[in-house]
Amino acid sequence: MRNGGLGVACHGLTEELIEAGAEVIFVLPRKQPTIGGCKFMFADFSGKIPVKVYQIESSLIPYQHADSFIEMFLPGGKRVRFSRTVLEEVHRYAEAAYEIARNEQFDIIHAHDWTSYLAGLMAKLASGKPLVLHVHATAYDQAGSENVDPQIYDIERRAFHEADTIVAISNYTRDIVVNRYGVDPAKVAVVHNGIKPQELRKLPPALEELKAQGKKIVFYHGRITIQKGVDYFIRAARRVVDLDPNIVFVISGWGDMEHQIMHLVGEMGLSKNVIFAGALWDDERDRMYQSADLLVMPSVSEPFGLVPLEAIQQGTPVLISKQSGVAEVLKHALKVDFWDVDEMANKIIAALRYKTLNQQLVSEGQKEVSRLTWKTAAHKVMHLYHKLLALLKREI
Amino acid sequence: MLSVCPYFHVHQPHRIKKYRVFDIGNDSEYFNANDETDLNNERILLKVAQKSYLPATKVLGELLEQHPEFRFALSFSGTVLDQFEMFAPHVLEAFQKLVHTGRVEILADTYYHSLAFFYSRPEFERQVAHHQQRIQELFGVTPRVFRNTELSYTNDLAMWCEDNGYLGIMAEGWDPILGWRSPNYVYSPKGRSKIKVLLKNYKLSDDIAFRFGNRGWESYPLNADTYAKWVHAHHGDGHTINLFMDFETFGEHQWEDTGIFNFLSALPTALLRHGDTGFKTPTETVLAYPSVGEIDVPHILTWADTDRDLTAWVGNDIQKDAIASIYRMEGDVLKTQDTETIETWRKLQTSDHFYYMCTKWFQDGDVHAYFSPYESPYDAYIAFMNALSDLQLRVTEMLRRKEVEASPTKAIGFWARLVAWLKRLIARVPFINRRMKVRTP
Repeated sequence: MRNGGLGVACHGLTEELIEAGAEVIFVLPRKQPTIGGCKFMFADFSGKIPVKVYQIESSLIPYQHADSFIEMFLPGGKRVRFSRTVLEEVHRYAEAAYEIARNEQFDIIHAHDWTSYLAGLMAKLASGKPLVLHVHATAYDQAGSENVDPQIYDIERRAFHEADTIVAISNYTRDIVVNRYGVDPAKVAVVHNGIKPQELRKLPPALEELKAQGKKIVFYHGRITIQKGVDYFIRAARRVVDLDPNIVFVISGWGDMEHQIMHLVGEMGLSKNVIFAGALWDDERDRMYQSADLLVMPSVSEPFGLVPLEAIQQGTPVLISKQSGVAEVLKHALKVDFWDVDEMANKIIAALRYKTLNQQLVSEGQKEVSRLTWKTAAHKVMHLYHKLLALLKREI
Repeated sequence: MLSVCPYFHVHQPHRIKKYRVFDIGNDSEYFNANDETDLNNERILLKVAQKSYLPATKVLGELLEQHPEFRFALSFSGTVLDQFEMFAPHVLEAFQKLVHTGRVEILADTYYHSLAFFYSRPEFERQVAHHQQRIQELFGVTPRVFRNTELSYTNDLAMWCEDNGYLGIMAEGWDPILGWRSPNYVYSPKGRSKIKVLLKNYKLSDDIAFRFGNRGWESYPLNADTYAKWVHAHHGDGHTINLFMDFETFGEHQWEDTGIFNFLSALPTALLRHGDTGFKTPTETVLAYPSVGEIDVPHILTWADTDRDLTAWVGNDIQKDAIASIYRMEGDVLKTQDTETIETWRKLQTSDHFYYMCTKWFQDGDVHAYFSPYESPYDAYIAFMNALSDLQLRVTEMLRRKEVEASPTKAIGFWARLVAWLKRLIARVPFINRRMKVRTP
């Protein structure tokens, strides 16, 4: 799944829910022939494990504005614009969900992220079954400021109030749900995301020439949007390079701020020290993780943040923003307020300069990450299910 | 006869400010945070003075007046004494008043509250001597009983203390060391007979120091009469009850609203109510009772945690790196002969700096047991290592300058000697002399 954390999270959680004895019917908003991972991932399920995959003809992908038009990539890489807006899709998806809910047998509805909240609500209407909403992000995270999409906010707010239970993926996100949407705190639980254990495969190093010259590599991996704080990262890079020109910053990702960031790099005279690697995936990404001396996640608002956990698995220490959910579960990490550019630079240099620090962050971090499993998350979710069902029984 | 031997430890470190890499080479002040954080040493000292040092010395002073039998011991780190002089001289006066009664003993210590004994014996000895001199200056007494940083103790330390004339030494009364034996007697260290060991009764000490204000504790709220009963229960099965704790227990660790000051005020009366109970200072205790046996501590024993070792200070890799880095500099730092540089280096040896880098509590989540003014142990390490890098830079620069200053004189000396030697050589050669004579008109 190349949309960041949501697909990975759904996959990890579903696998462990099944392991814990749940039967899962997975209703996807659409066929996903173009953005690879997801179809493969779930199609993979249907043979071996009791997941039923429904794919509705719809074009939803997360992280969009409600009235942006839908764009998809054909296999050749050609961009196609659909006529419907995301919001229209969300409604069409909800209608389909209503029909499915009338025909299927189930006890709980569990909807992930705003594009499926209305579908969840309709399924509840059709079946009368309790609704669990899983909040992976909110309109506030996407906006990076107070510039929130009112239509998305409206859907989220309505759904939060109608839901029986809300699962937030961090206390950070729970606070947003409670404070910004006025939701009763009693019905918002926190279930931190997990990460699949990875057997470390030593890959051939990346950027060998630079490393041979004694350069140190600081890595950013993620979308290049206002939410991710890449501009603060670049400003910190300037401070770092002033002190040590032998440090190189590698940026892997794409997003609507890409040109702005490239411009900023030029403006700050950092062209020699910043490398835009495009969006790296799979082995390419892991090679970069392994070759980097530090990964930085400078997010302005990050509901969870999977990337630092992946980096630690690959043996790279991390510097993460305090405005992130992952900061709640990761103690063996350097942390910084995203806006504190000086401190970010200070910690980048410290992590590269003090070897023992670098090593301990990895060795202790890896132990810590190995304890963050989807099994724990699934058990918490199962517990919430049972609580909901018990409550329902009592009411009857 | 059962005597109670209370001893209160007074200490504040020079906390390192948020010292960043950009400060290296530009800012030689590491301890002068003047913000609203807990890294601001003056702010903390004044706060603790208000909450603890002033009210507690007042209560203790009153108790000394009311009860001629009452006595206790204090130990001061040099770093807290320096801060009293700098920020709150009236607090120092309050302590001096207590000591002038003659019933308050002061213990020997390392000046910088350091773990130097385990890393550099010569440095340890310099710090103990410095401390002794300072105590003599400020209080007019010379300590005769030793206590080491964090109550750390080994057989070797006891031997050192005996060889250096101390009558007693403090240690933790830890069960695995004692076996079936009681901490309420005086012991000898392994293989030595002159010096005696006083063991902390950690159960009764921690009832006050840790549990007093804990509402979840079965004995909460604890009053002086109940506590005195627990002490009196040891009549017949012990000579001394050694109550060792931080002075800051009164008012800072246990806030006034827990009733800690009322408890302290009422305690001597409650303890003395049992006819055969009294108070003794550590020196009086070691002189009054014979040793009942030998204790053997080959590995370092401290007062801390459930491990009672040094792992809270030097347990993880960054702690080991930091402390190794500071002692690695010893030779160069001393070579500078620069008082201020050497003092700064010593301030960085204070054990608290390493304690702030402890990550042990990550496992048990027991944040409260490990108070730190830093947001993370990693922040503490980075500030420390940055400051150390700056110090290293300054030391290197000083030594380089010394070399440069020394070398021209050396060079001149060399040439001067060479010329003199050549002259002598020429004078000895008759041929040249003759020729020179010939040429002379």
